[in-house]
Order: sequence, then structure tokens, then C-alpha cells
Amino acid sequence: MSELTLLVLQLGFLLLLWVFIFAIVYSLRSDLFGQRVRKLQPDTPAGGVPVAASPFPSSPVASASPTAAHPAAPASGPGGETASTENATRLVITSGQKAGAEFPLGRDEITIGRSSDSAIIIRDDYTSTHHARLMLWNGRWMIQDLDSTNGTFLNGSRVTVPTPIPLGATVKVGATTFELRR
Amino acid sequence: MTDRTGRTSEAPRSSGPPTATVRRIRLPQKLRNMELWLLIVACIINAAAILLVQLGAMGRIDTQLVLLGAGLSALVFGLHIAMRFVARDADPFLLPIATVLNGLGIAMIYRIDIADGESGWESASVRQIVWSAIAIVAAIATILLIRNHRVLFRYTYLSGLIAIVLLLLPLVPGIGREVSGARVWIGIGDIATFQPGEIAKIALAVFFAGYLVRNRDSLSMVGRTFLGMRFPRARDLGPLLVVWALSMAVIVFQRDLGTALLYFGLFLVMLYVATSRLSWVVLGVSLFVGGALIASQTLDYVGNRFANWLDPFSPERFDQEFGGSYQLVQGLFGLANGGLIGTGWGQGRPDITPVPQSDYIIASLGEELGLAGIFAILALYVLFVARGFRIGFAGQDDFGKLLGVGLAFVIALQVFIVVGGVTRVIPLTGLTTPFLAAGGSSLVANWVIVALLLRLSDTVRNHPRLVIDG
Repeated sequence: MSELTLLVLQLGFLLLLWVFIFAIVYSLRSDLFGQRVRKLQPDTPAGGVPVAASPFPSSPVASASPTAAHPAAPASGPGGETASTENATRLVITSGQKAGAEFPLGRDEITIGRSSDSAIIIRDDYTSTHHARLMLWNGRWMIQDLDSTNGTFLNGSRVTVPTPIPLGATVKVGATTFELRR
Repeated sequence: MTDRTGRTSEAPRSSGPPTATVRRIRLPQKLRNMELWLLIVACIINAAAILLVQLGAMGRIDTQLVLLGAGLSALVFGLHIAMRFVARDADPFLLPIATVLNGLGIAMIYRIDIADGESGWESASVRQIVWSAIAIVAAIATILLIRNHRVLFRYTYLSGLIAIVLLLLPLVPGIGREVSGARVWIGIGDIATFQPGEIAKIALAVFFAGYLVRNRDSLSMVGRTFLGMRFPRARDLGPLLVVWALSMAVIVFQRDLGTALLYFGLFLVMLYVATSRLSWVVLGVSLFVGGALIASQTLDYVGNRFANWLDPFSPERFDQEFGGSYQLVQGLFGLANGGLIGTGWGQGRPDITPVPQSDYIIASLGEELGLAGIFAILALYVLFVARGFRIGFAGQDDFGKLLGVGLAFVIALQVFIVVGGVTRVIPLTGLTTPFLAAGGSSLVANWVIVALLLRLSDTVRNHPRLVIDG
């Protein structure tokens, strides 16, 4: 094999290696320049489509689907039993921009705030960057205010210490209210 | 992020609050498809490397090793398929990057086997392929078994214990083996030498992450300010001193500077990430530098390393039979010989440097691929580590964040220690270059790190989110 051929092959190899690297860097560009703005579908059947925000490149993977709109389940009255992992399965937004949207309750704590690393991201003028969090304490769901400017309200009274949330009680963060349901 | 103009179209319905369940649609697996394409390119690069080695060194093509390499590619695709089922949303770049690095390493080891006239099952390249297969199977097992990284949080102290046991194993008489001065190997009889310290770094990362999440408040909250930094109280120095003592013990008893630096650096960075207090780094670096300076005065082998680093080209150091700078200088000559685009696969003489296939594989690759090739390899490491940091950054729980950063940083630090040593930035220490160098334990450990990072990135992305734009 002639030296020239080997040289050409070597150059080709190095080129291939760099093409591979730039292919990765190109796919990563959204890491540097942020994610493309996605427009919400105007004709969603349900009240709102929660859009998954992924801090990663490529379009959001966990997109939400509006299922057939069904009427809100009757919530147990305020002051009823405390929401726990046994009896609460979802968080329902009751007023605000996304009224009607639901969020599944797992076993992880749920952070609420304007920052993009929150589980529930609320971007309005009344919400703090790290506003509040829902955490599990002995299997019960507690709301903790994270020293927010405008406060977190449980059934109308401002939350100062971590407080257990009764099922169906109204929690207000900024202009959004939600409750925990079965 | 969502578009703010979506507000107008989001007018509330009049008929009470309708409900919509947050349910994930299974989009076509975009990330996995991207990974598939990159993997195909990665396998083409690896096959091309082996073929070019054969053309350059022998002038003909031998299909045996290509077939073995194809078997390895099949295993990598096996991992890819496993991820399609159990880790759909994992990062798509880690696996192709690790595949290319592993393949380049195999090609270079094979090239040195050809120069040494070795072939068949006894040759280092075939052993490396077999170990790669074992390592990828270990990665598949990890990703299948560990479905949520939080499981590891429960075993914080157990993994700390495992790390200590693995570190001590080479000192046990009977199974400990000493290779070129460092007592970091175990083996049964004369076969199957294994470096347990490589696996220990994973256990240590898990332990440090769990420990720091549990105890960081006392390490970060209190202390007094001095020179513009808040220094911890004397009684909170305990963990730092314990890890420092551990790494000093590795220097003294196992005679391994690189491993000690790796463990201590890992702890320091995780401590810094957990507490965001620069004073820990200042304290830790001064402790380690102090310890290393004392060791260089009192321990022969450390002193030799320092002398070789400062003055490698003096004739007496170069000609010294043991502990001289012959290897270091040969490596530098090799790198210089490579120039900008290298001598070409199989056309340099990397085999005249001692251990060109393990500690000095970066110099061998630098000679045959040149500056362009070595920068490509370093760029791959940078991308790999950046992905790891990104996964840590995006993590939802503190344990996952710390673990992601720790695992990524351990790779970065190891590359720095090895490449820095070869290129005479820091004193040369014996560590394996992740994924590239010949050595089974290192391969297994690094592929398990890949699997853990993939698992972490999948959990991060799987976390449900809800965005409300007011």
C-alpha cells in the first residue's frame, strides 16, 4: 500500500473522528443557546396542557396529553382528613391559567416556583423563584413556604411553618390555587 | 420553554374546571434514535481504526480481529436495545462517546501487539476485547438491575465499607500482587490480576454523595470568617482529615500516588459542590500538597517521580535503570514525532516506550494520530464529562446531583492525572486512562459509571413537570 494512500486514509480517519465530535456538539447546541420556543396548541380540548420542560436538548420528551375532559371529582370538604400517600393521588389546579390540569403525586417532594428546576413551574408576577414545596413527612403531605415574597396560603391563612394539607383544602401560590385529591 | 403568547389561547372554560391528566405520550424515541445514529458512526470509526492499523502495520487485512470487534459492537447495540426498554429518556451521547474511546484503545493495543509480534488469546488486544465485553455486560446488568438511583442512597454506609475493603484487599497477603512497585492488584495464582481500587472509586462516589447529603448542613453552615472565606470549625474537619489520612495511607502502603490523588480530589470536589464553600478546597489542597511534599522527601518512589518531572532530560536521570525518566522522555519524543496529524495508524514506533498500551497509551495515540487526534480524544472526554455535569445539574434530588457530579468528575480527574503526567504538567503517576488503556478492572469500573450516569439521566428526564405560565 503506497504511502500516499495511507496518508489519505489517515486524514479521512481524523476527519471522521472530528465529524463525530461536531455531530455531538451540534446536537448539544440547545444546552448553550436554550431551548426553542414552543407554541402551545390553541385548540386544546381541556383547560390547559401542561407542557413538560426538559432541561436537556431535544424537544421535551414528557409531553402531556389532554384526555377527555371529565367533570371535577367532588372533593371532600376542607378540614377533612389529612392528605397522605394512601389517600391522595393527584394535585389538581383549581384556578389560574392552567385550571383543571392535574399533576400525579408520587413519593418525591414537589417543588413549586418560578425557577425552571421546580417540579411545578409557575411563571407569574406573584410567584417567587423557589416559592414553596410539598413534602412527605411520615407519609403525610405537608406544605412548606420557602420564604416567598407573597406567601403561600392554606385555606386562606398564610403558611408559616410546614403544615399538613387536608384533602381538598385550597392551597394558593401566587395567582394559582390547587388542591390534593384522591 | 413555553411561549408566553399562549396565554390568550388559554382562556379558562366557562363550564367549571375541566381536568386533564398529565400523561406521558410515548413520542417516537427521539433520543434513542439519535443514539442509534451516533452508535453506527462510532462503530464505523472503530472498524476503520482496526483496518487502518492492519494496513499501516502489516499491509494486509486480517479478518479475525475485525470479527471480534464486530462481536463487541453487537454487545454495545445490546446495551442500546436494553435502554430502549428500561431507560428510554437517558442521555444519548454517553454511550457513543464511551464506545469510540474504547474502540480507539483496542485499536492502539492491537497495533502494539503487532509490533511486539503477539497474537491470539494471549495478546493484550484480545484480552482487552474480552474485558470490554465483560464490562459492557456489567453495564447492561447495572442498568437492568438499578431502576432508580435512589436505591443507592440506602446503601450509603455499606458502599463506604465496600470501598475500604476493596482498598485494603491488595494489602492482604496471599491475594495482593505488586506490579512495578505499586501494590494495588489482586490475583489468584498468577492469573486474573484485578485492580480493586478502580471499583472502589464508584463505591466511594456513592458513599460521599450519601454522606454529604446527610451531613452537609453542619459542614456548610457554621464557622468563622477569615481572609474573606468562612472556614469550618475544627470539630467539623473530621471527614476531611479521615479521607486525607486514607489517601496518605494509599501513598505510603500501596505506593500509588495517582490513586491517592484521585480519591482525595473526588472527595474535595463533592464536598465543594455540596457545601459551596471555597474554604474546603483551600484547606484540602493545602493538606494534600503538604502531604505530597513530605512524601516526596521521605519516600523514594515519590521523590523519583518529582525529580523526573522537574528534570527529565538530564543524562543520569534518563539512563537510570530503575525509576529514571526514560519512559517519560520516550513518551514526549513519541508525541513530538506525531506532529500535527500523526505518523498514521501502525506507522509510528510507540512500542519503544515502556508499557505503551496502558499507562502510556495517550502518548502512543498522540504519536500515531498527532495533535489533531489527541485533541479529538480530549474533546470526547470533555463532552463525556460535560454530559455528566449536566445530568448532575438537572437532577431533582440532592443525592442524584452529587452522584452525577462525582462520577463525571472522577473520570475528568483521572484523565487529567494521566495526560498531565504523560505531558509533564504534573509528576507522572500510574493510573489508567479511562476506556482507552489496557486493563480489565478499569474498563469494568468505567462502563459501570456510564450505566449509572445513563440511569441518572433517565430518572431526571422522567420526572413529571408542570409548567404554568401566568
